Amino acid sequence: MKAERFAGSDGLAGTTLRINLTTGEIKSSPTDTKLMREWYGGRGVVAKILYDEVPRDADPFGPENLFIVSAGVMSGCFIPAGAKVGFGSISPLTNGHGDSNMGGHLGPALKFAGYDLVIMSGIAPKPTYLFIDDDTVELRDAAQYWGMGSLECEPVMKKDLGEDFEIATIGPSGENGIRFSCITHDFGRQAGWTGQGAVMGSKKLKAIAVRGTGSIKVHDLAKLTEHVSAIIKRTKTHPNMDPWQKYGTAFFIEWSNSNAVIPTRNFQTTHFESIDGISGEALVEKCLITHKACFGCWMNCGKYTKAVLPGKETVYLEGPEYETGSLCGSNLGMTDINQVAYLNWLLDNVGMDTMSGGGVIAFGMECFQRGLITTDDLEGHTLNWGSVEDAEHFVDMIVHRRGIGQHFAGGTKRAAEYIGRGSEKFAMQVKGQEMSGYDGRYAPGMMLAYMTCDIGAHHNRAWTITVDMAEGRETIEGRAKVVIYLQHIRPLFDCWCICRLFWGELDIEPEEIVESLNDITGWNITAADAFKTSEKIWNLVRCQYLERNRADGRTFDYPPARAWEDKIPTGPGAGKGLTFEQVEGMLDDYYACRGWDPKGNPSREVLHDLGLDFAADNLEKIGLLGKPLPNGIPAVRGERYKPKAF
Amino acid sequence: MTIFLKAGGQLRAKLNPDVDYYTRKVEIDGGKTIAEILDAISLNPAFVALIHVDGKLKDLSYTPSDGQTIILQPPVSGG
Repeated sequence: MKAERFAGSDGLAGTTLRINLTTGEIKSSPTDTKLMREWYGGRGVVAKILYDEVPRDADPFGPENLFIVSAGVMSGCFIPAGAKVGFGSISPLTNGHGDSNMGGHLGPALKFAGYDLVIMSGIAPKPTYLFIDDDTVELRDAAQYWGMGSLECEPVMKKDLGEDFEIATIGPSGENGIRFSCITHDFGRQAGWTGQGAVMGSKKLKAIAVRGTGSIKVHDLAKLTEHVSAIIKRTKTHPNMDPWQKYGTAFFIEWSNSNAVIPTRNFQTTHFESIDGISGEALVEKCLITHKACFGCWMNCGKYTKAVLPGKETVYLEGPEYETGSLCGSNLGMTDINQVAYLNWLLDNVGMDTMSGGGVIAFGMECFQRGLITTDDLEGHTLNWGSVEDAEHFVDMIVHRRGIGQHFAGGTKRAAEYIGRGSEKFAMQVKGQEMSGYDGRYAPGMMLAYMTCDIGAHHNRAWTITVDMAEGRETIEGRAKVVIYLQHIRPLFDCWCICRLFWGELDIEPEEIVESLNDITGWNITAADAFKTSEKIWNLVRCQYLERNRADGRTFDYPPARAWEDKIPTGPGAGKGLTFEQVEGMLDDYYACRGWDPKGNPSREVLHDLGLDFAADNLEKIGLLGKPLPNGIPAVRGERYKPKAF
Repeated sequence: MTIFLKAGGQLRAKLNPDVDYYTRKVEIDGGKTIAEILDAISLNPAFVALIHVDGKLKDLSYTPSDGQTIILQPPVSGG
């Protein structure tokens, strides 16, 4: 069909698509500029739409769940790393708000085609893909692609449709409802967290193919050009640019090992004796083919590589970057970068998030180590540390839901609930989302970041390890404020759909990014405004989580007991670890700083101040509104708590 | 001899640049390793994830020569 497209301006493409996959109905409407302004596009708008439109008892795999694609307000514009696209739905991993994003070219392509948001509901009657070619929008039969691996499917679709289409696909993992499935694009960019690929699969949506030939109007092109040109000039001569381009994030593996945070053998310890074999240097020496960048970026942090293992066909992939390098490397006891790269390719191709996937395999390996699962459960196979063959077979059992694989298909938390016998202690997740590639036992702020992250134990919202090092790794003092500061600034990049590495690594200040945002949108906001809106989004997502899961927030915020029962046994962190009292103390501090009550429930005072009275009313109806604050609203916002290390 | 240390990101403030936004000039006796140079300016090497000299990786035991520029890379703030 030909979709009516509406004029865009101020960074917006102009049109929102609503698609009912059950009926095939496609509607276009002008993008709600007020909604985009108030919720900053991207993650914020996704949070508001999910809150408003998805019933609290809706099954994440059911027709009432929405699957939203958002290109944000800055993606596709003349701005460094303006390449992100966000996905959102109620997460099948956490049963709360879920969002994830990726770089590449899809976000800009969607906006060039004329669309800011694509909101999908229902379940297609048969395998389907969404085809967008400027004003042509169609749901097409995907029977010929269903069952293909993600990395196999993309070139086939490009051959069928045209090389200039941007493609995002899921693999068999998403098709089969594996709850930690990802979405893949551009031969190796993934939206991995919170099981967005599984939601796509539940809707029988195999892929999204987009070609856009239009352009985006910005509010003040002259100012934007001036400001961005200055950023380009500065970052091109940044001292860290050359190492970044050479090694990407993988250079960080050795540092993480020598500073006692790298997860090793399912977070049993934080020091890997064979780190040289999986380091960034090993990646460059053994696997690197060439460097790769996203749309509008000159950082080239992506690495096209190959994995060569005896007895296996050579495979080509993008990565491993740090997270995959740690979670599919040291965390699985893999000693050779080619093993890690091969597993990276395997999980990418089946469509399984390498971070959660690495965590789930590691949990299975520790269960095998402890005799909680045996070869009888594994079709006669072992599941030993450092064995690619064992890991590959186990992944196949999970993807195809064979035997015990069925129980690991729900992620680490659900697998531990099935296996029991104390395995919950080392199921390394919070709220159902597996931990990222950092052990927080000797980095208390990092542990608090996992505990309180709105999508489960993910580093995306806050990463505090250098703050922990600077301010004391054995004290919890001040960590809540640091975590909250980061939880407000980092998600802003996911709202605006730009990469945060320019801020974190290349010294572009938040004020400069807000300046460019104003050039694009004409919003005329300040950095303080941005922090407050980010806090509003954070609180709304918390309310959504409580309303869906119907218990005090604190009950969901604990890490597995390994966090306080097991001290780190080896390496530079030997003997270090948290106590339960420290875990409790960090939660107490965090809730107090946020203006939530000691049970972890947001108070009406804070929700009112953020313009979320409707959410306060909803919490009150189910008895989960936080108790009134005896000392009023704490001053938690903006840069007041900006840590020294930033 | 004179050594130029460069750093950005989280390391920049710790380095206290005095030449330009990223660069600090250090006057020090010859024959010192990077570890000794960092110690002399009270910069904890734990905050350095990677050392780059003339496009090549070096470690803390490397002894720079007069006039060389040493790039100190901080850890990525969440990969």
